[in-house]
Amino acid sequence: VAKTSLTSPPWPEVKLPDPVEEAKYHAEVVQKVNKMIATGQYGRLFAVVHFASKQWKITSEDLIMMDNVLEAECGDRIRMEKVLLVGADDFTLIGRPLLGKDLVRVEATVIEKTESWPKINMRFWKRHNYQRKKIIVNPQTVLRINTIEIFPCLS
Amino acid sequence: QHFRGRKNRCYKLAVRSVRRAFVKSTKARREKKRFLRALWITRIEAASLEHGLKYPAFISDLLKSQVELNRKMIADLAIYEPKTFKSLAALAQRRRQEGFLAALGDGKEPEGIFSRIVHHY
Repeated sequence: VAKTSLTSPPWPEVKLPDPVEEAKYHAEVVQKVNKMIATGQYGRLFAVVHFASKQWKITSEDLIMMDNVLEAECGDRIRMEKVLLVGADDFTLIGRPLLGKDLVRVEATVIEKTESWPKINMRFWKRHNYQRKKIIVNPQTVLRINTIEIFPCLS
Repeated sequence: QHFRGRKNRCYKLAVRSVRRAFVKSTKARREKKRFLRALWITRIEAASLEHGLKYPAFISDLLKSQVELNRKMIADLAIYEPKTFKSLAALAQRRRQEGFLAALGDGKEPEGIFSRIVHHY
């Protein structure tokens, strides 16, 4: 068949590496990372956690403030599940979409339960004698992230 | 502008400008979310262009490989965690190539169709 403009696709042709060799390479990398975690050769760990319908990038000794009420007293330790990403200097563990609970452990304590500053919600229409003023005070909680730990149980 | 002119001294003018300030702040609180999202998107686009990917390709490949980070996080990672962003870009590039290969299929021609070139004279 002769070559036309549609014989070859518009993207440049790329060959993927051999699947067998790839599997070997992946196993090597996983073993290396496991060894590094087991011997403790990482510095500061950071994690991306999904909490209170928001995603936070947290490290240890971090303060987080959320605009809602948690059903925990001040001084309670909380374990955060739903960890999306964990990383250190040399390696990162990306979850699809979440990482396993036996891999990562994020501990936090509730420090403060306060109210936000009084926000003013005002609506006003010109020449229609319409104005409404409402003061909104949101309850807030402050958490401190104590530790992030990882365990060498990759496969 | 901290109520310029007589708006910071005279009651009648001050009442009007304070009312406008309250209304503008309530509307701005709703616009802030849109504005921040656009900012994150431009940052992610710039960062992914440095790694040779365009923003729509990057985001679609990340979603297809089941990584559900939102744009705020990816922008923060790109700023403070360049190595992590590079690995995310590599993941997206690999998923893109796999998608291309899957779209090509076998490479054979469909049955019952013949192709020939028509010459115009």
